[in-house]
Amino acid sequence: MKRQRWIALALALGATAALASTAGASPARVSGAQAVSCKSTLKIALVTPLTGGAGFIGNEQLSWAKYGVKTLAAKYGLKITLLAGDTPVEQGPAPAQALAQKYVGDKSVVAVLGPATSGAVAATSKTYFDAGLAHISPSATRTSLTKGTPREATAAFFRVVPGDYIQGPSDANYMITKLNAKKVVLIDFQEPYSVGLADAAQAVLKAKGVTTIRESTSVKTTDFSSLVTKVPNDADIVFFPSQQPEDAQTFGQQLLEQGKKAKVFGGDGTNSPDKFKLTGSYVSNFAPDISGFAYNKALIAGWKKDNPGATLGSFGPPAYLAVQVALNAIKKACDLGNGEIKDRRDVVRNVKRIVVKNSILGGDFRFSTKSNDPLNAKFYIFQIQSNGTYKLVG
Amino acid sequence: MDTFIQLTLNGLTLGSVYALIALGYSLVYGILKLLNFAHGDVFMVGSFIGFGALQLLGGSTDPIVPVWLLLILITLAAMAGCAVLGVAIERFAYRPLRDAPRIAPLISALGVSFFLAYSVQLMFGSQQRDYDAFSLDGGVLFLTGFNIGNVRVPLLRIVIILSAFVLMVLLWLLVTKTRTGKAMRATSYDREAAAMMGIDIDKVIVFAFVLGSALAGAAGVMFALRAPTAATIGFIAGLKGFTAAVIGGIGSIPGAMAGGLILGFAEAFTQGYISTRWSDLFVFVILIAFMLLRPQGLFGKADIKKV
Repeated sequence: MKRQRWIALALALGATAALASTAGASPARVSGAQAVSCKSTLKIALVTPLTGGAGFIGNEQLSWAKYGVKTLAAKYGLKITLLAGDTPVEQGPAPAQALAQKYVGDKSVVAVLGPATSGAVAATSKTYFDAGLAHISPSATRTSLTKGTPREATAAFFRVVPGDYIQGPSDANYMITKLNAKKVVLIDFQEPYSVGLADAAQAVLKAKGVTTIRESTSVKTTDFSSLVTKVPNDADIVFFPSQQPEDAQTFGQQLLEQGKKAKVFGGDGTNSPDKFKLTGSYVSNFAPDISGFAYNKALIAGWKKDNPGATLGSFGPPAYLAVQVALNAIKKACDLGNGEIKDRRDVVRNVKRIVVKNSILGGDFRFSTKSNDPLNAKFYIFQIQSNGTYKLVG
Repeated sequence: MDTFIQLTLNGLTLGSVYALIALGYSLVYGILKLLNFAHGDVFMVGSFIGFGALQLLGGSTDPIVPVWLLLILITLAAMAGCAVLGVAIERFAYRPLRDAPRIAPLISALGVSFFLAYSVQLMFGSQQRDYDAFSLDGGVLFLTGFNIGNVRVPLLRIVIILSAFVLMVLLWLLVTKTRTGKAMRATSYDREAAAMMGIDIDKVIVFAFVLGSALAGAAGVMFALRAPTAATIGFIAGLKGFTAAVIGGIGSIPGAMAGGLILGFAEAFTQGYISTRWSDLFVFVILIAFMLLRPQGLFGKADIKKV
């Protein structure tokens, strides 16, 4: 009996040691050098939340990505299949990590659009980098992905939208110069996106002499009554960088319910005319209303034909631009490789060189020489009108 | 002073919802000595049934009935739906385990909780559902009411608090003044003796589940009128309802009411005067404190130890 106990203990210790030894192991390095013929059907994968609270973002991006592949692939002489991977925000980084393993293992996947969320980028960029897979995000805006030390993303990560280091100061400057704000309450949701954005905005506001009050609540909160009670009666703005537009709507309603005069100012995560429609509130976003550019008219008409009944939003067009950049880079890699992509890293090397004239987001698009962020990008400020539409005001 | 009044109002609104959830825990525990951990998810299902009923009646922007009737109908729909759900849960998840060791129905309860949450998520997705009560009749529920000092008491909060109070009083009357209530009390004192006296124990137990689940359904609608609902809200709401029941004395109906209100106030005042980050932590610290210092709760009776 005693001997059996010792054997059992030894087995248990051995199993524990084996498990522990794998815990810190990094995934096997996947070679990017897997040549594929450009005459074959190549794949690009869109990694975005298609279900869950942020599913509206992913579905909009998917509709524009599909349209981009449909209209652009033939133009570049490519046969492209678009894969779509779902990363619900409620499930954390795990779905994105699983998809990363799947796509790096498929040699016909030559580029990734996304991941859409900053957390997913941070969790998977190394996996893509090790496999030499370019990942071009249409919506991940966290500053620390491309700036600071250490950076959360790798050299294979690109984004076609500006980072929060632009959004925070841009929003703060608008509050000061256009809204004449003297007292601002900033709320974060104890997660990197909102904390980073609130930090960036608060720094600018404080530097310009605005009184700031910082509050924090869990991302799972849906009843903000007591938080609203803490908003001073003389506060001008409540900065609300949530990723759930319904929460911005609820918060604004509860402000009105308690007779507070402060206006809600949401970040790009609250940009949803269907869900956040409180008249007089403000929303910032990384993309303008693309219908303001005359050369987009045919593009928009074609997209609407493919998506009857769909509303033109601001999360979709950057996905189209990301497709355009990706296909351009793939084409260049194919040309340089004489009809072959000898190494997926060839695509990565060419992404940075892409210039898109008259891009869907307005003006020419190119990457900054100093980072993998777009050059001279800006954030746009919208005010919600009484009919629920978003009017560009800054 | 205005902040204090506003936080008191917040606490009363929250506490009313927690009290209704806690009553369900107490009803079932009082009779079966079972902690029905699926109860929080019954509350969540109630909020979804209310949402569905609201859409069927035209939604908040274009309802086909007056606002007051709309609120009654969606609440009744949620209560009826959850009552049926409660019967099903009792019949399939708990009755077969009535004579099993006590851990078995507890594990079954946890299983039912996850089953409900993931089923709703699978059927309806994990995005939030918003009743958009603000759009009802030009925002009448939020923007009208009366003032206490500078603090507005909106109509919706009055409706929630009064409705919860009415339901609690009706339950108390049912349990204390009716034959069925007497049978329930007899069963809770001694199940075997009650059976020997001719009381149909199965019916009494089912009735307890019907009542408790119906109250949870009503609580679900009251919650969702003020904040969006989602498939994931049941777990924490259930834990808080359980905490309220423990504070008041698990198995005690007046205790559940008092516990719910105490919890609501504790949460509101912590959020208002300390930090919103601390409110959930504080709630569960209260739970632990009661378990250590007064496990029978405020209104419960301490176990008599035979010496």
